[in-house]
Amino acid sequence: MADEKAGRFPDPHEYQVPPELEGWEEMYPSHYLFSKERQDWEKNQFWYLDKIHAPEPMPPLDLIFQEAWQISLSQYTTRVFCIPPAQGIAQRMIGPYMYICAIAPPPDEVIGEKAQLFEKRVFYVFEHYNELWDKWLTKFKALGEEMKAVEVPKELPKFVPEDQVLPAPTGCYVSYDLVAAFDTLVNKMFKGWQYHFEMLNLTYLAYLMFGDVTRKLFPDISESAIGKMVAGAYVSMFRPEEELCQLSRLATSLSGVAEILKGETTADQKKTELKKSEDGKKWLEAFDKAKDPWFYVSCGSGWFHHEGSWITNLDIPFSYIKSYVERLEKGETIERSLDEVDKERDETVAKYRELITTDEDRESFDGAYKTVRTIYRYAEDHLFWVEHWFHTIWFSKIRDFGKLLVDNGMINEVDDIFMFNRYEIPEILTEVVTGWALGVDIPLRSDYYKAKADKRKKILKAANEWNPIPALGVPPEEVAEPFTIMLWGVTTDKVQEWLKGMGEGEVRPEDISEIKGFASSAGVVEGPARVLKRLKEIVDIQPGEILVCPTPNPSWAPIFTKIKGAITDIGGLTSHAAIVCREYGVPSVTGTGVGTSVIKTGDKIRLDGDRGIVTILERC
Amino acid sequence: MKWIYRFDELGKEHNDIVGKKCANLGEMTRVGFRVPPGFALTLGAYERFMKETGAIEEIRRYLATFSADPDNTADMTKYDKASEEMRGILESKEMPEDMENVIKQYYEGVSKTAGISDVPVATRSAGPGSHPGQYETYLCISGSSEVVKNIIRVWSSTFNPRSIIARARLGLSLEYDPIGVAVLKMVNARSAGVMFTLNPVSGDPSVAVIEGNWGLGESVVSGAVTPDVWTVDKVILEIVKESVSTKPKEYLLDTKTGKTMLVDLPPERQNIPCLSKEEILELVKTGMKVEEHYGIAQDTEWAIDDDLPFPENVFMLQCRPEQVWSKRKKESVLGKKSGYELLMARAMKRIKIQE
Repeated sequence: MADEKAGRFPDPHEYQVPPELEGWEEMYPSHYLFSKERQDWEKNQFWYLDKIHAPEPMPPLDLIFQEAWQISLSQYTTRVFCIPPAQGIAQRMIGPYMYICAIAPPPDEVIGEKAQLFEKRVFYVFEHYNELWDKWLTKFKALGEEMKAVEVPKELPKFVPEDQVLPAPTGCYVSYDLVAAFDTLVNKMFKGWQYHFEMLNLTYLAYLMFGDVTRKLFPDISESAIGKMVAGAYVSMFRPEEELCQLSRLATSLSGVAEILKGETTADQKKTELKKSEDGKKWLEAFDKAKDPWFYVSCGSGWFHHEGSWITNLDIPFSYIKSYVERLEKGETIERSLDEVDKERDETVAKYRELITTDEDRESFDGAYKTVRTIYRYAEDHLFWVEHWFHTIWFSKIRDFGKLLVDNGMINEVDDIFMFNRYEIPEILTEVVTGWALGVDIPLRSDYYKAKADKRKKILKAANEWNPIPALGVPPEEVAEPFTIMLWGVTTDKVQEWLKGMGEGEVRPEDISEIKGFASSAGVVEGPARVLKRLKEIVDIQPGEILVCPTPNPSWAPIFTKIKGAITDIGGLTSHAAIVCREYGVPSVTGTGVGTSVIKTGDKIRLDGDRGIVTILERC
Repeated sequence: MKWIYRFDELGKEHNDIVGKKCANLGEMTRVGFRVPPGFALTLGAYERFMKETGAIEEIRRYLATFSADPDNTADMTKYDKASEEMRGILESKEMPEDMENVIKQYYEGVSKTAGISDVPVATRSAGPGSHPGQYETYLCISGSSEVVKNIIRVWSSTFNPRSIIARARLGLSLEYDPIGVAVLKMVNARSAGVMFTLNPVSGDPSVAVIEGNWGLGESVVSGAVTPDVWTVDKVILEIVKESVSTKPKEYLLDTKTGKTMLVDLPPERQNIPCLSKEEILELVKTGMKVEEHYGIAQDTEWAIDDDLPFPENVFMLQCRPEQVWSKRKKESVLGKKSGYELLMARAMKRIKIQE
């Protein structure tokens, strides 16, 4: 745009972060910073805060997932399946927050070339989806097992063990193994993320296509109706919860087991208790059988190390089991009937289909529906395997390194390793093994790293209190990138809304008494709010509270039986969470943008899931 | 020849006998929709009245001297005058005694059903053809003599200026236009309005659109206020769009005069929705049943009765086939494309961000 001021957001090169974040730049790879060299291009792009993948300040090592998706998501669109007018999504950091940019379409000749490749490559995937999915799952599981098998040295021994020297020296030792193990893990993570998008871009494209088709037939159809027609019940992401239900049922059929599980003790105490009886052992056996892979599920989105997982916080699945057992004993049904869900979906589709007025359109609709249904389950299936199972393995391996660094005095706490990015960690590891190789009494720069970790933790904490601007740069003329449209819902209206927000003076959150979002699950409820910014606070939720969070996560399904309603900052009507809310009949308003900053825990609020309105009735 | 029917004795096969509105109310009652209790007078009743009272003769005599051009604006006053004369003839006549007695019996039946003596009723015209809104309706009629009197007034409204001009333009005889009359319990409307079982603007058949205001439906039909509007998905039964407007006024009934009055709403009611969610969904479900029964999209009028508990308070006042979209030729909107062709089309699409 010609006008330098109007219709644009601040130039990212001029945008200032609060002084408390001073020094943030060194936390991330330098190509993630807005730079002089790329200034002309960068300032004319449209950058917006990625609240979906990076709702909170980014710990340096956790950026690896973002790094990996920037490449992988983009390459499938631009170079592999060649979605004709679409380009990739670029990322930059401003303070510890990530901004992303959907790049404008390429020149027409490139679009033409891509269109030819697209037809040839993409239709093949749809034709062969089922067998491709089987292959995908096989190779992905193998990759995860390889990651599990990576041996992280537990210590740097005073002298290498005898068997590594005699009868023949292995020739390479812990000084090599340690750095190599980290490199291997990083490579596997990148590979996993290459796999992640193998069919996802096409899944989203198919979904958008089906959305277009239904909206042409039914101009007033809601996003939630489209979501209902497409979503499947038998997907991996629901399995962890189903396993919990089964374990709970098993508990009630065994003697003495339910009593132990209902107790107020910790998971460890319960396990010790269970080991004392035959039936208890039987139950534990079933538990152990289910836990890999199904309890390798993040307590959050899987994107942050501090979220934890069921497998590392057994208290969480045990607390779900406790409430399921109690409900079973009251004679309640705890399982969602998957057949019912499937049946209901088929009925919904049939009803819309019946309303189509011409046979030609009915045929096209059938074709469109078949196309989207063929591939759509990928959206929910990959999520479990990559963001949950695979990331959980990664976090646990990284903590092995963290422990070794603590043991060697380089950092204070195991999780401090996440304060260093993936390029810095090899440097620390190298320093450690160099010291080990040099002999005894070799000084290391422990204080240097400890101070760095401390400073970075402070920066991240300060960033938590800061609300960065929603967008920077110049809105593009058009976008074609399917993720941008589907996940972030970037539309003309949204951009205008953001632009409008810039002109107004800052409204203090406490002055706001009403916020709006998507009416994603029907019903009106009132109650106390529970604001959940840090995902591990999930155990604090009390029955009857209304959950307010940045974005709910699939693994939270069990708490939906506890809460009265749910409000999220981000997310449209088709997110997994919105679907869960509807299935549990929990009213919800999603995509409010500001829920977690305006509402405070304990505020009395009214959630109107019919209209998408949240009212703050009484401040606590 | 039977000339009076309770609604539950009627069905759509009686269209030509009692007029469409009455036949519909009958059909709806028969199918089990909530409509206010009442009865209908046939076209034959109108004819009997005209003949037995001698009204028809007098009108013919009057018309023999009358001449005017319906397309000439200057002649409009002539029609006004003629209307006044002819309505005067009808309204000066007494209802034949046997008819009067039967009407009174039926009216008492309605009072009994409603559990209110001398229950207030509406007397509504019901043409056999499709001339909606040309004739008149009288509201809040209480007591059997008043009911009888107002039935005659409805008949005489076939001689109102609009109707005689319409007949003149169509080249029909001015002397004679038999209609049915519906006599039904007044709904004590807390809220009322219209509902289409499709979107009248986009033609989308998967939704129903409800417009409503506080009080009687007149404010919605006449456009006196901007109503609240709900678009409801009929398949998943969810409200997909809602627009609650500022509604400064409502029509209420003056129970003494039977006339409606436009009154100011207190500020605290102006901006709140005039229907609850359960009422909205109940209306839509009823609308869907009506639509399914007739096999065609419907244009309905509804009211929420303030005296009764939910869901007995949700009344359908009338319904008729939707006229525009239902008659339109069905055309393909997807261009006979296959699933892959649609996918390709989507892959090529760009979203404009800048205007």
